[in-house]
Amino acid sequence: MLKHANPFLNTTFLAALWLFAAGGMQGVGAQGTSEGVQEFDPLAFPGQVVDDVVVPVPSEVFSVLDKLGEPNWRQEIREMNTPQTSDRTRLTLLFGEAVAEGFVAVQAEDKEAVKDAGREVNNLATALGLSRSVLPHANAILEAADHNDWRSIRKELDLTQKTVRDTMEQMRDADLAQLVSLGGWLRGTASVTSVVGKAFSADRAELLNQPMLVEHFLTVIGGMPSATKKHELVKETQKGLKVILREMEAAVDGFSEESVKTINSECEGLLKRLNSNS
Amino acid sequence: MTWMKTRMTLSWRRLVMSLLAVTGMMMWLAVPRTVWASVDDAHSFAMEAAVPFVEQGFIVREDYWNGEVKSGQKLMVKHQLFKGNEYAFWLATGVEVKSMELKVYDDKGKAIEMDTQEGDLWVTVRVNPPRTGTYTVVFSFESSDKSEPGVTWALAYGYR
Repeated sequence: MLKHANPFLNTTFLAALWLFAAGGMQGVGAQGTSEGVQEFDPLAFPGQVVDDVVVPVPSEVFSVLDKLGEPNWRQEIREMNTPQTSDRTRLTLLFGEAVAEGFVAVQAEDKEAVKDAGREVNNLATALGLSRSVLPHANAILEAADHNDWRSIRKELDLTQKTVRDTMEQMRDADLAQLVSLGGWLRGTASVTSVVGKAFSADRAELLNQPMLVEHFLTVIGGMPSATKKHELVKETQKGLKVILREMEAAVDGFSEESVKTINSECEGLLKRLNSNS
Repeated sequence: MTWMKTRMTLSWRRLVMSLLAVTGMMMWLAVPRTVWASVDDAHSFAMEAAVPFVEQGFIVREDYWNGEVKSGQKLMVKHQLFKGNEYAFWLATGVEVKSMELKVYDDKGKAIEMDTQEGDLWVTVRVNPPRTGTYTVVFSFESSDKSEPGVTWALAYGYR
């Protein structure tokens, strides 16, 4: 029996080894096939477009506003009263907004506001079932706030939203993942338009020339499953983004004070709706 | 006789399986180096290239682009830049290449790169956007080994 058993085990082992080797080759080889390699289409000059869009973090715009003057960022900080909800679409947008609120607080160098934002980020991540991924970042934000380490906080805020997006993409929420960036963009743009509106200049207003990003968000919404597209908040956001895009496309010779107000009003309206309990 | 036949069958089966296993392992080892190099490697090299920039005050974004491309094929990424910031793009590969190119164009198609630096596995450009708006980053790689199926790459950026 033993003699028979050994060859059998040996054969099984060898077969498994062969299958493992063959399977491994197939898995790795797939990257090398023409399917896995990005092809250049000569008709689409100057090259293949990488569709992924990296949305700038609010501090990229805030830093320019700092160079153009001395905005009172403390005036832009908001107390967050996040509504109780289990609606994942709303929670995702709120999460993005909370991260952006953290960026505003960092710009104001307001330690307590940063901590509030960090705690809110953690609460929302918990509501989304992502606390495990976010907790280390939230703790790092709180620790860095104690040391006034604004650079580290910016990095952690950026990392937090990336972690959440990546985790959501791996889970059943892939369709919602991009709403993190959208929520952040709305809050960031509300702050930028508020600052620009308080001390209008063409240079400051030019920072609103972001039609590609708005088009990107509209494309993201357009590609969502119909159930998500029918979500009242998503429908309103889509409508608001179209208004904002029109303002941006119309600003060929620069933004007027009126157009800055319109963009601000759209962003504020959407954020108000996002934070309402209904 | 039946016992003999069974024994021969088992020996034959063992021989075939052994040969298959050896062949499989040899083919496994013969897989080109490119496929072993992941986009994570490329991103690590991009981050290495970013170190001196961070020391100069650049803030590195956590988000980045990555993928795999055939040698010589051009790729382009559209990206929002803000006038008043200085940007640095770090492009890296996971494998050695003969050359790589990285350029940033404005909406009129004019290259705006300010300063370019190259290493073995990376290239960087520093950019001062003349206007706020959408810019196009175009890049490509020339592989040292034409038989390699593709070049893994990562493109990251930072600002100050």
